[in-house]
Amino acid sequence: MIREIGEIGQKRLRRARICIAGLGGLGSISAYYLAAAGVGYLKIVDRDRVGLENLNRQILHSTKDIGRPKSESALEKLRQLNPSAHIDAVTAQIGEDTVMALVGDCDLIVDALDNFEARKHLNRASISREIPFIFGGVDGFSGMVTTFIPGKTPCLECLFPGVRFTKEKVGAIGPVPGMIASIQSLEAIKIVLGMEGLLANTLLHVNGLDMSIKKIGIEKDPDCERCGTVGKVSHHEE
Amino acid sequence: MKNSIEIIINGFSEKVLEGTTILDLVTRFKEGDVDLIVEYNGRFIYPRNYGEMVVSSGDRIEFINPNFGG
Repeated sequence: MIREIGEIGQKRLRRARICIAGLGGLGSISAYYLAAAGVGYLKIVDRDRVGLENLNRQILHSTKDIGRPKSESALEKLRQLNPSAHIDAVTAQIGEDTVMALVGDCDLIVDALDNFEARKHLNRASISREIPFIFGGVDGFSGMVTTFIPGKTPCLECLFPGVRFTKEKVGAIGPVPGMIASIQSLEAIKIVLGMEGLLANTLLHVNGLDMSIKKIGIEKDPDCERCGTVGKVSHHEE
Repeated sequence: MKNSIEIIINGFSEKVLEGTTILDLVTRFKEGDVDLIVEYNGRFIYPRNYGEMVVSSGDRIEFINPNFGG
């Protein structure tokens, strides 16, 4: 038993409901560590099937899974790892019409997506339902991670209000999503346990080319069109 | 005539003219990503503030391309 967690912490983990959006390089790691940590309910979501080009980093899947839905492949491995966890595996696109049904019954969102458009939907659901949202992204040899807590930190669209991200597919060397998703998993576990020392208001950037890891201070944009009014005291409340 | 000052950009020492703004540096050094992140002395800077932020001697500026793959 880990001293900082104890029996009470383990019960908290068992009661936790976490959505992992994406089961690629990031989601493979997060799903594995969170199932292994004893999280009681995981909703795992991905729209894609396993491809050969995924296997350098998407370590929940193997060659025999090529062609299977990632959610199905992941479910099989996670059930072997932790048969007592309740795991909902969903093959779906995260979009405006689906996002609330996918994440609305969870108390934490782990972002493991591969595109900005779907992340925007997660961000909006996070703000609307006041669900913490752990952002992670990778590209080549670098990656970044931060935790967005509605009302207390910036949101994704504070930082990237007008992103016009056009790259279709982004590759990454395997250990980079491994590092970023490990940090995301640690953030998720700490949030469930009510621990301090989160990456809130801090963007962590990892550069695998020169092995630099830096923390960048970030703050809420008061004029953010998405979350600018969240957490502000209204005139009625003053 | 303006004096030059020394700042650190992406880990390298650079001489720039006094009065140089973040916007000037973005224009001079940007590598083409419209969503570039600017870290100025450890803080994230919103793009709308680039034009009013004048750098001083010894400042550290990093240009970081955001990562959105998974």
